[in-house]
Parts: sequence; C-alpha cells; structure tokens
Amino acid sequence: MPEIKVTPLGAGQDVGRSCILVSIAGKNVMLDCGMHMGYNDDRRFPDFSYITQNGRLTDFLDCVIISHFHLDHCGALPYFSEMVGYDGPIYMTHPTKAICPILLEDYRKITVDKKGETNFFTSQMIKDCMKKMVAVHLHQTVQVDEELEIKAYYAGHVLGAAMFQIKVGCESVVYTGDYNMTPDRHLGAAWIDKCRPDLLITESTYATTIRDSKRCRERDFLKKVHETVERGGKVLIPVFALGRAQELCILLETFWERMNLKAPIYFSTGLTEKANHYYKLFITWTNQKIRKTFVQRNMFEFKHIKAFDRAFADNPGPMVVFATPGMLHAGQSLQIFRKWAGNEKNMVIMPGYCVQGTVGHKILSGQRKLEMEGRQILEVKMQVEYMSFSAHADAKGIMQLIRQAEPRNVLLVHGEAKKMEFLKQKIEQEFHVSCYMPANGETTTILTNPCIPVDISLGLLKRETAIGPLPDAKKPKLMHGTLLMKDNSFRLVSPEQALKELGLAEHQLRFTCRVHIQDPRKEHETVLRVYNHLKGILKDYSVQHLPDGSITVESILIQATAHSEDQGTKVLLVSWTYQDEELGSYLTSLLKKGLPQST
Amino acid sequence: YRDLHTFELQAPTRLIEWARGSRVCVAGYGQSDGNEILQLIPPPTLLTKETQGLCPERDFKVECGGFSERPVYSLKYVPDTSLLVTSGPPDSSLQVWQVSAEDSDVIKSVSPITTENGTGQSWAKIATISTRAPWVLHGSRLDRVQITEVESRKNVYTAASGGSEELRGLAFLDCNTLLLCCVTGRLCLADIRQPQSLVETVSVPLAPCSEQWCMGTRHGAQLSSQPVARLSSRGLLTLTDLRKTSEFLALAKARVPSPGSGAEFLCISWAPALEGCLAISGFDGTVHVYDTQSWDSSGREAEPIFVHKGHAFGGAGGSGDTPLVTVHTWHLQKPRTLLSAASDGSLHVWDWVQPCGK
Repeated sequence: MPEIKVTPLGAGQDVGRSCILVSIAGKNVMLDCGMHMGYNDDRRFPDFSYITQNGRLTDFLDCVIISHFHLDHCGALPYFSEMVGYDGPIYMTHPTKAICPILLEDYRKITVDKKGETNFFTSQMIKDCMKKMVAVHLHQTVQVDEELEIKAYYAGHVLGAAMFQIKVGCESVVYTGDYNMTPDRHLGAAWIDKCRPDLLITESTYATTIRDSKRCRERDFLKKVHETVERGGKVLIPVFALGRAQELCILLETFWERMNLKAPIYFSTGLTEKANHYYKLFITWTNQKIRKTFVQRNMFEFKHIKAFDRAFADNPGPMVVFATPGMLHAGQSLQIFRKWAGNEKNMVIMPGYCVQGTVGHKILSGQRKLEMEGRQILEVKMQVEYMSFSAHADAKGIMQLIRQAEPRNVLLVHGEAKKMEFLKQKIEQEFHVSCYMPANGETTTILTNPCIPVDISLGLLKRETAIGPLPDAKKPKLMHGTLLMKDNSFRLVSPEQALKELGLAEHQLRFTCRVHIQDPRKEHETVLRVYNHLKGILKDYSVQHLPDGSITVESILIQATAHSEDQGTKVLLVSWTYQDEELGSYLTSLLKKGLPQST
Repeated sequence: YRDLHTFELQAPTRLIEWARGSRVCVAGYGQSDGNEILQLIPPPTLLTKETQGLCPERDFKVECGGFSERPVYSLKYVPDTSLLVTSGPPDSSLQVWQVSAEDSDVIKSVSPITTENGTGQSWAKIATISTRAPWVLHGSRLDRVQITEVESRKNVYTAASGGSEELRGLAFLDCNTLLLCCVTGRLCLADIRQPQSLVETVSVPLAPCSEQWCMGTRHGAQLSSQPVARLSSRGLLTLTDLRKTSEFLALAKARVPSPGSGAEFLCISWAPALEGCLAISGFDGTVHVYDTQSWDSSGREAEPIFVHKGHAFGGAGGSGDTPLVTVHTWHLQKPRTLLSAASDGSLHVWDWVQPCGK
C-alpha cells in the first residue's frame, strides 16, 4: 500500500521549533525550519542528521517550505542551507520572503554581537540563503517538478502566513503552520477549500485553551494604558517589528480617537517604518475591512501615532511608546526601559513570549533588580504587565479547519502527548478519521488509497460493446484487454494493438470440446438439426451452415462426426479461439443439454 | 464591575461544579451524542485572591475531558476519590467516571449505576458525600430516593415514599440528614438512621399549579443551622430555617419577566463568603444578586444589589433569541466573584462592586 511518512524533527510533541519531514510518493519535503528560542546551544536547531546519515541534503530533499516569518518556523534556515548544506528551492509567500531576512539578521546581530556566540550563521549566509528562496502567491499551483506541486492558502496569524498543500499525483498533504480561525483587526481568518487531503498536519498548542474574549483582553489593556497615562506616567510597549504591533497600533489609535486623548503615541523608527511599509505593500494580505477603508484612509497611517525620536524619551509628561525589540534584550526598547524603570508611575507591557535570559523574561518572572552592563544595578519600580495577543487556533478552530478541508487523516504537532489524547479522541469521534501525534524523531506512516487513472482505447471499447447482449445482459461484462504502463501513463488497449506496439508475435490458442449427442440419423442430418436449433436460439448471432457440413457461430466452428463405436451417437466438435471463450463455453453447455425432439 | 471575563465554550453547559484544586467542570447537554465533560483549570487571575489586571495566562485550560453519550444535566464530584457522577435523560441511571489528570487527559467512563426505571421517570438529581464512605444520593422522584455506595454499588439507604412528585434537588445537610426539594416546592427532611420517616417542612405559598421551585443550600459545615432558600418560576423567594419549619424566615419577590421562559434552568445559590447574599438566575440572560438581610416575611418585591447582564449582550451574531442563563455559581474564596453560563455557550466570570450606601 502506498504510504505517506511524517517525521517531526522539532515540534513533535514540544513547542519551540517546527521542522517536519514528509515523504510522499517518493518525494521528500521539509516543512518549516525553525529555531528553538529557549536554547543557547545546538539544541536550538533541529537535528538534521536524522534525515540522511550520509548523502547530500540537496539530493534527498525535493524542496523546503516555510509557512511564516516567526523565528520558530524559519530561524534555522540559514544554518540549514549554508552550514549544513542545501541548494534546492525554499518556497514561501511574498511577504514572508520580504520579511524573513530582516528578522534573521536582527536575531543574528543580537546573538553574535551582543551575546558573543560563534557557531552561528553570518550575514552573508543569510544573503546566500535568500537567493534560494522562491516566492509564491496564494492559491497558485506551483510545479516543483513534473510530479510535485504545492499551493499556498491564507492562514491569518501574521502577515504572509500560509498553509501549504503538497500534492503528488492524487496523494496530498496539507500543512497548516500556525493559523487562526478568527479574524482580528488587521488580518483575516484562515481558509482552505474542501481539498480532501490524505493527511492534515496541524498545530495543537492552543487546543486545550478556552480563550477569554478579545474584547475583555483589549478592554483590560486599554484600561491599563489609560490609567497610566491619566496619572502622568509613560507606557513602554516592546514589540517585534511585525505582527501584533500593528494590531495594537490600530487598537490604540481607535481608542485615542474615541476618547479624544491627547497624550502622544510613538512608534520607534528604523525597523518599524519598514514594517508599516510592508503592510502597505502587501495590503492584499490584510483583512477585508482594512482593504476597504484603505481607499479612504490608510489604516497604517496613523493620526495619533508618530515616529519616535530618541530624545523624546526624556520629555516630561505622559506618552506611549512602541519600541523594538520585543524582549527588551537590546536596542531602543532596552534604552527606553532603562530611562523609565525607576519611576513607579510608568508601566511596561510585554506583549508576547520572552526568551530566557532576556530582560523581558527576567522582569516577567518577577525580578526587580537587574544587572546591566558595567555591573550597574537597575531597580525596576515601574509596573510590569503582560498581555498576550497572539493569534492561534483553539480547539474550536482546529475542528473548524478539519471540517473545511475534510482530510482522511490528521496529525497533531506542537502539543504535549498527555494533553493531546482528548483532542485526538475528539477528532476521531467527530470526523471518523485517524489521528496521530508523533514525538520528535518518531516516524508516522499513513497508508493511502490513491486512484490511478487508466485510459482505455476507443477501439477496444467499441469492439467489446459490439458483441450482442447474450449470454447475460445483467452481469458485468468481462473484457479482454492489455494494460500498458509506459512513461507514467497507463493505457488499456486491445491485445492486437499491444502486440503491435511491443513488437511481439501473436500466438493463437484454440480450444476444442467434444459433445456427445444421441442421434441415430446421418451426420448431415444431425448437423442440420443442430443448425436449426442454434439458429432458433442465437437470434442475434451469425449462425451459418457451411457447404462443407460445418456450422459456424461467429467464429466458433462446430463439426459433427459419427462416434467410432456407436453409430447412434454423434460427436460434435466445438472449437473456438481463446477470445471467444465465453461464447464457446456457453455453446458447449447448450449443446450438452441435448437437441429438442422436433427438428 | 470590578472585573469581567467572557469566554466561549464550544457547547453550552447547564452545570458549573468546583473540584479539588480550584478546577471547574462543565458539560454539554445537547440532544445528540458526543457531549463533552470538561474539567478546566481557571486562569491564575481566578485562582488568587488578589485580582490582577493583566496576567500572562488569562485563559481557561482544558485539563481533561470525557465523552458522554447522553446529555449531561447534573454532575457531582465524589469527594476524596478520583470519581465523578453524572446524570441526564433519558432515564434515572447514573454514569460514573474516573478522572486521572496526571496520567492522561481523558476522563474515562466506568460502569453506570443503574436504577429501576419506572414509567414517567426523568433524570436523577444527585448529591455526594464521603464522610463514611463515598456515597451518592440520587433519585428523580420523591419515592425513588436512595443512597448508593459509589465503589461497591451497594444500596445503603432507600427513603420512605412521601409521594411521587418529581424532585428538583437534593442535598446532604450532614452525614445523616438529607434535604429533598420537589418541583412543587415541597421540602422534606430525612434521617438515614430512620428509613421509615420523612419529615416535611412548611409548604410554599399557594400558587398556580404550574409554578416550579428549586432550592439553594449553603456549602460547608453546619448546614442544618443555615436557612434554605427556595425560588419559584414566578420569582417568589422564601427563606426557611430548618429548625423552625412551621414558618418562613423571610419571603420576597424578585423582579423577573413574567411568566418566564420555563423553570428548566432555575438556579439559586448562597454566597459562601458573603453573609446573607444569594444569587438567582434562569429567567432570562441575567443573574441577580440579593442581600437577604433586609428581607422580612411580607413578600414585598426585593431590589437586587447587582444584576449581571453580560449574557444578554454577549450575543454572537445578534440572532433573534437572547441567551438564557443556564447556571451560575459562586467562587469559593473570592467573595464577590461568580461564574455564570448561558444557552449560547458563553461562560462569564465576574466580580461586582458593592454599591456603597445601601
């Protein structure tokens, strides 16, 4: 039975980095190539040696697909392509291709320059890796080679995130990456058609979560910001350049407008200007509402949000500042943090996950005295808050997606084994499909049932239907043909044509059967009796009485001779070729029944 | 409000039960098969006494879940065990489940406790206690009340028949005393040491026959000294001291829409940490909180000290029907926090501010 093999190299049963290997119909595809943000050593990269012990990755893999620009999905890409070695194509959507290198470079700078690590990819490696990236459009079928094709679907989650369908012949796999089934302020919801893949690979991190409503979250966030600003404090919101920052900007902008607030909001320059530029560039990737209002007013051109200048941080009075990077590990956000940390009127709101070792992580864990460069101690008196606006699918969303795509099997990644059993049962019960949850390094094999189309030659079809309705019109008709498999095409042709094409000589097989009939009369009278009998029954067939005393029914020959020992018994020789087997057998059994009395 | 969190469950629930470790349990009651029982871990904001505005985790997490073939109308944990018992139509048998959250996240079905099913029996109401052994008190009608030992399935007690009225609720007042409430409002006390007698309390004020009642008892020890509250589908509220059953302690009327949408989801409960406060729901999309300390026996209309209207506005999609609150419960430690669920699948956790000057 044909199979699809899936091996997670990361994100089998843990959250951290995604890297999944899929083997489908002889093709090998790598899905995502993420880096684990929590480790500082080689454990942060997926274990590529698993794929092939010896032999080049380029020969083994047909392509690599990246779902979106988050580092836990693409962070290991330069390491993989330049340090381990891969020269094949790397597919991703246009926004991902545009944004990914920026994030990689940013992360590289922090890791190498700030933390002084050595075994890391270089800027040049990122550039070389970029040359291998091939951008695709949504819903565009891309032929990777003659047999393998891929197609991207909208996934929501972040700008440019996509779910990919990988198809070889009639077997297909859909990989979701990270997705979101509910639209938010700047992105739409994931969508896929009823493509009925053999396998759907979906993340299940948030499957066990029942999220509180966005309204409550936003309301609490705005309340905190408002309270701080009202008492004259400053709010620092460290963000990654792209992603939730835009969502929060739109949120604050609308709130400021509604409440007629005057305090300034700033968005730090550099990376973030480029970010807004990208959103404008990829406006088709945002949601309906933004696209519609874009004509009247660019949602990303904010009235109340201005570009930040380093000097503003010292300005008195309330303000809100969005600054990068998101984990307070370096750069502008850290600078501002150091200036404002000592004042309890101020507040910092961390909007996402912080990697261990960063200042963001430390303050979220409750640390209030931080050691900075030069052994300086920074006392943190400002309020520290955390607000997660990340957009992932919960259990309801996962069920919705499965309902949309109608896969035959489901595979869960990104969750803890013990905590996925319930979801697995839920999926199996509701959709009657098998659900798998492999661990890292564990290979899951899924059996598929592909349909193989075969062309039948018109001549063969015509010939077989030409023969009359007897023996039995209700039974399925047995057909004789030859299956030719050549160059990936399958054809059913007549044996003669096959022999001709293959240059083989034909051999004839002829069967002869003896039927004894009691008839004392002369042979030629017996023959006449047989002839009349057959003519009466086989009305649609060509029954002929030849001058030499034999009878033909189509191409079957019947001759009568007298039995050597018993003159009262006549022996009928019924002879036919292999092709007329059915009719031949039928005639024989008919004749064995004997002749009717009167003829 | 001091705090309000709204959540959406995949399927609506008509029960909210607290479990060990501050877990909360909900379950589906839809007609078709495939109802889920979910044991949830509330977000840290609800676990701590202090309310924090922004918290890393604001979501409920499904700790474990089970699949029930029948709608789950009632669920009770069996104290000191890893078992829970559920009941629901079409008959009065009970389903027993095993929760082992450390090993797997599936709540497994264990064999059911069957009961003889006479005609016209609806689903059983249940209460559990584990003082002497894990017991479940159950029955759908006044003449079918019994206590079954959960592990051995032995029948420990059968109540004397006091009539064949349908039961609305039952409770253990202590390990020997049972309180039974009929839909007619009739309250009966039983001592399991004296299986032949049932003591009846004062009946309810005369009312049209279609009125239905439910009761609320306080959690914790000394239940027999706490008043029992009853709520009718017309909004009548009575407080009765079980030691002086011949009269009402207090009588009041709640302002509810008339005639109301039926009594299926009527719910009344005492606040565990606020003296004299109770909450009612089941008439519409609201939950009312009352301070009973100002009530007397006159039957006057009482003014709620707080009304939670969230479910009426929640409205996903704004379709015609306003959701109906199916159940509510108080937080066991935080005095003013309640959880309420409605027929549209919403689950709210809210903390109200005591209005000053009242």
